[in-house]
Amino acid sequence: MSAMFFIVRKTLKNLIKGVFKKPILFIGYLFITLFVVTMLIASFAMPSGLIRRGSSDLYTGIVTVVFIFMYYTTLKLGIEKGSTYFRMADVNMAFTAPIKPNHILLYGFFKQLGGTLLFLFIALCQIPNLKNNFDIKPYGTWMILLATIFYALSYPLISMILYSWATKKTGRKKILKRAIDGLALLIAGFFLLSLSRTRNIVGTMGYVFNNPIARYFPVIGWTSSIANASIKGFTTEFWTGLFGMVALILGAVVGLYRANLDYYEDVLEGTEYLEAAVKARREGNKMTFGLKVRNSVKQKLSGTGASALFFKHLLELRKTAYVLFFDRSSVSVMLAAIMFRLVMPKEEIQGFSLSMVLFFALYMLLLLQMQGRLSTEMEKHYIFLIPASPHEKLFFATLAEHIKNLFDGAVLFTLSGILFKAPAIIVLSCIITYTLSGAVYTYSDILARRLFGRIHSKGLLIFIKVIVNLLIIVPGGVAAGIVMMITESEFYMICALGGWSFVLGVTLFMFSAGILNNLETVS
Amino acid sequence: MLKVKNLTKKYDKVLAVKDVSFEINSGEIGVLIGPNGAGKSTTIKSIAGLLRFDGEITIDGKPNKSIKAKRVFGYVPETPALYESLSVWDHLEFVARAYGLQDWADTAETLLARFDMDDKKNKVGKDLSKGMQQKVSICCALLIKPRMVMFDEPMIGLDPKAIKELKEIFIELKNSGCAVLISTHILDSIADVWDKALIMNKGEIVFNSTRDAMALKDESLEDVFFAKTEGEGATR
Repeated sequence: MSAMFFIVRKTLKNLIKGVFKKPILFIGYLFITLFVVTMLIASFAMPSGLIRRGSSDLYTGIVTVVFIFMYYTTLKLGIEKGSTYFRMADVNMAFTAPIKPNHILLYGFFKQLGGTLLFLFIALCQIPNLKNNFDIKPYGTWMILLATIFYALSYPLISMILYSWATKKTGRKKILKRAIDGLALLIAGFFLLSLSRTRNIVGTMGYVFNNPIARYFPVIGWTSSIANASIKGFTTEFWTGLFGMVALILGAVVGLYRANLDYYEDVLEGTEYLEAAVKARREGNKMTFGLKVRNSVKQKLSGTGASALFFKHLLELRKTAYVLFFDRSSVSVMLAAIMFRLVMPKEEIQGFSLSMVLFFALYMLLLLQMQGRLSTEMEKHYIFLIPASPHEKLFFATLAEHIKNLFDGAVLFTLSGILFKAPAIIVLSCIITYTLSGAVYTYSDILARRLFGRIHSKGLLIFIKVIVNLLIIVPGGVAAGIVMMITESEFYMICALGGWSFVLGVTLFMFSAGILNNLETVS
Repeated sequence: MLKVKNLTKKYDKVLAVKDVSFEINSGEIGVLIGPNGAGKSTTIKSIAGLLRFDGEITIDGKPNKSIKAKRVFGYVPETPALYESLSVWDHLEFVARAYGLQDWADTAETLLARFDMDDKKNKVGKDLSKGMQQKVSICCALLIKPRMVMFDEPMIGLDPKAIKELKEIFIELKNSGCAVLISTHILDSIADVWDKALIMNKGEIVFNSTRDAMALKDESLEDVFFAKTEGEGATR
């Protein structure tokens, strides 16, 4: 056991030493710490329900849907690939060493405690928004964080147990996946059926997710009931959820620890998958990793010189999309539009509703597009060898990204326009501004690479880029605010933001193109 | 020392390894060769105790997954994977702790020096090149002074000096009575060192012979390899 904890101790020590050795890392982590502390203070100290008090049914519905989605995706992937607490270094060095598998599992579980920090950070970022929209109790923040911890600890355990059971006999994997899909379909079907009767989404959410079966349903119901205590208080549901999750996690850990374990094969595939995912994230193609590639798409590559890159990207986009450019990100923006329509109170629907959707979409795009297609391209040598000017290469290497943004923007704002009954001219201006802002993010990403090179921590680089992007977009936001005050027109306000994005996009393009002069500038 | 008896491994409906049996004795160097998809990796992973399987694998007379067997077994995987934040020396210290080694530091120093890694003791895993990671991986496997050691494509990424050093180590291991199993695609790389050749194809051992037996029949490993994997009569 001491050998395994030697790894944990040394890793922590070397990580801290490494941060102090590199000033840029130190500053970066200092920024992150400050940000987290600010978020912590904001999450705990800010009052709740002052702006508006959404119904508890809506809150319960949102929380339950989020946990259903999270458990559904992670468990399905867990059954397919196995779930893991481990990295390949553990497989190669610890699994083959004379150490009891139970001790190694305990070490893995201990490591996962560190992994929960990421989930806590994500949850923490949502709390101010929830506090603005719902009447969260003073201890509510703790309850949301507690539910997040339970989720992060339980899903790898459940995945490991399910995977272990599924792989022992042919056909079990299929049965489990069908059972999970069936359950998801049942919930979706029940929701739609109820909706067709009530024709009231919030009411249906309450009816479907606030009924005793949903509240006491093992794992998903338990986890969301813990989070629901932030608005409902310490009800029987909460205590059932709390004891249920504690019993589940402890039972699974003790059971696995005491069992005569032979789980290495069960985690091997998951570990290899995780290793590939980490590699993809480092190389900048996180967004395309794990997507199914459809070989049935038939499209000839065309274009010569730099434009060949554009046609290659178009083909790649089509191969990973469901139809044309409609892919996972298009589904996300569609769902975002529908959620916005649900959450936004009636008085705001009459006003500047589409610009609110635009601001939210730009925030999401900022987080999503941080690891675009060009990052992947720059990890390979081809783009540097193509006989064309850097400007030409950069233009064509990013053109597909702009077209994708235009497509997603069109989906999002056309749907939002219909839902909010917005004029066509506003819809059009939103689509154009969305595309132009996407270009700003793309080119600022390249400029950041040119300035900072390759920082070993991709997370830190993304964090720096998010902050820089927020800062450079501020003048556009200020201009939009001034225009809105003068003209009181949503259209002109959006145009001001779009105009700033255009100027910024072109400027960043001009400054960042030099990165394609040679490979050295990105490493 | 290593006994593999009726090893069978099935992934869902795919039979990756079918009824494989072989032995590697103490002081013997065995090579496991075969085309891609022959079942070598599955065999190697089964011996390393990473997979569940049907059949029996013993190391020094003990089941391969037992603590006692693992204590005398060294493994160099195909793709080296080190702990990103652990230094080269930390890796060796971890191995020493995990295997309960005493007075290991001098051996570690000697191994690092042989692979020109003595000046990189404090470098962490993520700062090492693939070749250097492979060297650390080899040093870790040898630090325990194994009685049975398995190398999966050990030459990949190594510089010429390290390859030469590793070949010498193979011979030293053999002379010290260690059983060595090497899995590789590059026949030339092990041409001078092997004692027993095991050729796998389509999940089965299709050829199992010693160097002496082959010499008597005037057979070359390369010719036998192509004959057994691409059909009788196919030689290069």
